[in-house]
Amino acid sequence: MNILEATKIHKSYGNKFNRQEVLKGIDMAIGQGEFVSIMGASGSGKTTLLNVLSSIDKVSEGSVIINGQEMTTLREKQLAEFRKQHLGFIFQDYNLLDTLTAKENILLPLSITGVTKKAANEKFQALANELGIYDIKDKYPNEISGGQKQRTSAARAFIHEPSVIFADEPTGALDSKSASDLLNKLSQLNQQRQATILMVTHDPVAASYCSRVIFIKDGRIYTQLHRGTESRQAFFKDIMKTQGVLGGVQDEQAEY
Amino acid sequence: MNKLSINYIIARNFRKNIKNYYLYVFALVFSVALYFAFVTLQFDPALEEIKGSIKGEAGIKAGSILLIAIVTIFLLYANKLFIKRRSKEIGLYQLTGLTKQKIFRILSAENSILYCGSLAIGIFVGFSFSRLVAMVLFKITNIKTSTALKFSTSALIQTVIVFLIIFLLILLMNYIFIQRQSILSLFRVQSSTEEKVKRVTLNEMVVGLFGIALILTGYYISTRLFSGHFNSVNQLVLAMITILGSVILGTYLFYRGSVRFIFYLIRRQKGGYLNIREVLSLSSIMFRMKSNAILLTVITTVSALAIGLLSLSYISYYSAEKMAKSDSPADFSIVNAQDAEQFKQSLSGQGIGYKETRIDVIRSIVDLSQIIDISMDSVILKPEQALMSVVSAKDVEDVQLAEDEILLAGFSDTFKSLFSYKGTGSVQFHGLHKTISQQLIGLKKESIVSWPFAYGRMPIAIVSDATFEQLKQDLDPQIQAKFTTYFGIDITNRKQLEEADKIFQTLPPGDERFSNESQLESTNEQKQMMGLIMFIVGFLGLTFLVTSGCILYFKQMDEGEEEKPSFTILRKLGFTQGDLLSGVQIKQLFNFGIPLIIGLSHSYFAVKSGWFFFGTELWTPMFLVMLLYTALYSIFGILSVIYYKKVIRTAL
Repeated sequence: MNILEATKIHKSYGNKFNRQEVLKGIDMAIGQGEFVSIMGASGSGKTTLLNVLSSIDKVSEGSVIINGQEMTTLREKQLAEFRKQHLGFIFQDYNLLDTLTAKENILLPLSITGVTKKAANEKFQALANELGIYDIKDKYPNEISGGQKQRTSAARAFIHEPSVIFADEPTGALDSKSASDLLNKLSQLNQQRQATILMVTHDPVAASYCSRVIFIKDGRIYTQLHRGTESRQAFFKDIMKTQGVLGGVQDEQAEY
Repeated sequence: MNKLSINYIIARNFRKNIKNYYLYVFALVFSVALYFAFVTLQFDPALEEIKGSIKGEAGIKAGSILLIAIVTIFLLYANKLFIKRRSKEIGLYQLTGLTKQKIFRILSAENSILYCGSLAIGIFVGFSFSRLVAMVLFKITNIKTSTALKFSTSALIQTVIVFLIIFLLILLMNYIFIQRQSILSLFRVQSSTEEKVKRVTLNEMVVGLFGIALILTGYYISTRLFSGHFNSVNQLVLAMITILGSVILGTYLFYRGSVRFIFYLIRRQKGGYLNIREVLSLSSIMFRMKSNAILLTVITTVSALAIGLLSLSYISYYSAEKMAKSDSPADFSIVNAQDAEQFKQSLSGQGIGYKETRIDVIRSIVDLSQIIDISMDSVILKPEQALMSVVSAKDVEDVQLAEDEILLAGFSDTFKSLFSYKGTGSVQFHGLHKTISQQLIGLKKESIVSWPFAYGRMPIAIVSDATFEQLKQDLDPQIQAKFTTYFGIDITNRKQLEEADKIFQTLPPGDERFSNESQLESTNEQKQMMGLIMFIVGFLGLTFLVTSGCILYFKQMDEGEEEKPSFTILRKLGFTQGDLLSGVQIKQLFNFGIPLIIGLSHSYFAVKSGWFFFGTELWTPMFLVMLLYTALYSIFGILSVIYYKKVIRTAL
């Protein structure tokens, strides 16, 4: 079953005279429990794609269906409600609230769902233990490391068991050790909780943790790779190869 | 860099930033207008009458100095926020290679354009405003003149000089600011004030509790201030200083410790499970309360001061009629038969109907020690041997007394609290030879005779006719007053009152004329005097109000910008604008409400401690002032919410 279906997505910025088309008709579908990453060079439109899929930004044309709900016709307030209930987010710069402790940050999405305090605590405990951040629950974001911040952010994305989790360069600001820690946890959660994750990254290592990688170029889907039963290392090599074919300044010049 | 390009930068900058400036321009125009209006009035010939009548010149001067002080602080604060907002831009200039001197020149040029423009607008607004203000002033002081205000050159010059000096101060401040910053710190300045989140410590709790204790101590002393517990002037002054000190320090410590601590307790009790409203209100206020402590203390003190002063002066104004009534219970009070006769004839001649009250007054030494408890040495009244005026019940309407019963008339609330009235009891009248013991059965607030008969405007004893006759036989001639019979004339037809007043004014001058009293005249005098004081205080109070409201509002604008990233995060997570706004509303309720409530409470105790010196009515005028202040103050809270709404809308 597809949890997310996008058809013919166009997105352009600017006015009538100075129009820049960033997404030029993208079709994609993501199944329940998949861990998918979107790769592409800077300016290829991958973050824009994530933003329109996650309803933070509006599409110019096309349709996005999440969990059977058509997103493009919803009004802003309904979109916000939908995000709040059904989507989870992990951002490159953590996006934790400085004035809240780690635990308060994590429990924030639950506060609107009417979960009892006790149930919320249980959920928190389980998740925080899985992510290894239980000990820092009463610390403020400025008192913990980048890796811990990102795991806190991840916990916040998972706590209300959303239909899809969107991650925008989650490892972008982390050192390689923290990054692999986080990715291990993410794929673990993906398997254990059957959580659907869509991640944007430019880091092939990060992408190699996924089950599928979609390559974007100039606002269009260039190709995609399935990991299948391959080992992570082998999948990593495939990704590198594809990236080599895809990217590179020489190719750009060759087109002119 | 040549001259042309600097000018170009200035011009471009100016056009680009014009939206950012409105806060600053508003502060400027407002200050200038207020000051100019005040000074215009000061120099206006139409005001001579009021000024001359009570030597109000000094009052107006003192007011204008205070006004300058407030305006200076206000403008410097606005400028500080303004330059802080633009620190990034300044950093960029530095990065592109402009020297600090040149940046300072650009800023100064830009500032002076703004400043001159605002000054001109302000003066115009102030002039229009001063006409309105003059009308209000003449209305409350009951003076009838045409309010054709002239544009005063001396007012203009004085305003320009004052604001030029303030401008120099602002330039100095900017210069120091720019000199102190390196490129790096300029980039960081916006977040540098944002304190790192610190944990609530036990220390803070102690500090907070200590603050509350200090405030309560101050309140407690204030309630005992004029109840005879402080016997000398020195002690009184010391007590007042103690109250001021402990309340202000207590307020500061309260903001520094208690608020954070109370919020911390609430938050802990939630066990990490906060909803969006609590996130935006509790945590945000906790986060900033400590660093805002000084600012909030200043605002609270200023509000309390404004409310207190406004209440007191309004109490005086409000009580003017009552005061006049106690000075002269009848429309006209006359102290000798001759004048009374003349006045009555003139009234009859003009066909004005009247009613006469005639009361004989004697003086006696009275022992009041059983009914009042006063221990001040230096006061006019010794409870054991009080010199009092005595009248007979037969001369007073509606009073029936048994032979050993007495009433005290003209016993206002002021006396009640000043003398620590203990309640009814026995009172001894000492004649020349005999002592008569009587029973006090009650008090009358209203006075019976006009002020020259009430010794030192003290209460008067009403005794039964029999007792009165006994006392009259046993008079001590040395203590008797010059006037022994009070003539009260009430005009039957109220419409003829002014006419009667004109006749009254023609009574022969002299000592008697001074002691004769027209209620209408004295009401007007009171209103004129209190009106001017109230006007000056009201003007200052309004300035206090608007400046403190603006400072809080500016502060909130600043906080709003700082919190924008949080709003962005929350909106990405799916919280709607409505969710965020409801949290912000609660936050603003606290941000504006806490200083207001504490300010109201401070002023309540301040007014309560000494209001009886100012008038006869406490609750109505005080509540009116408080209500008005709260309403005006809330406007700034609402404005800040509107501003936040805009920030939230643009956050995603």
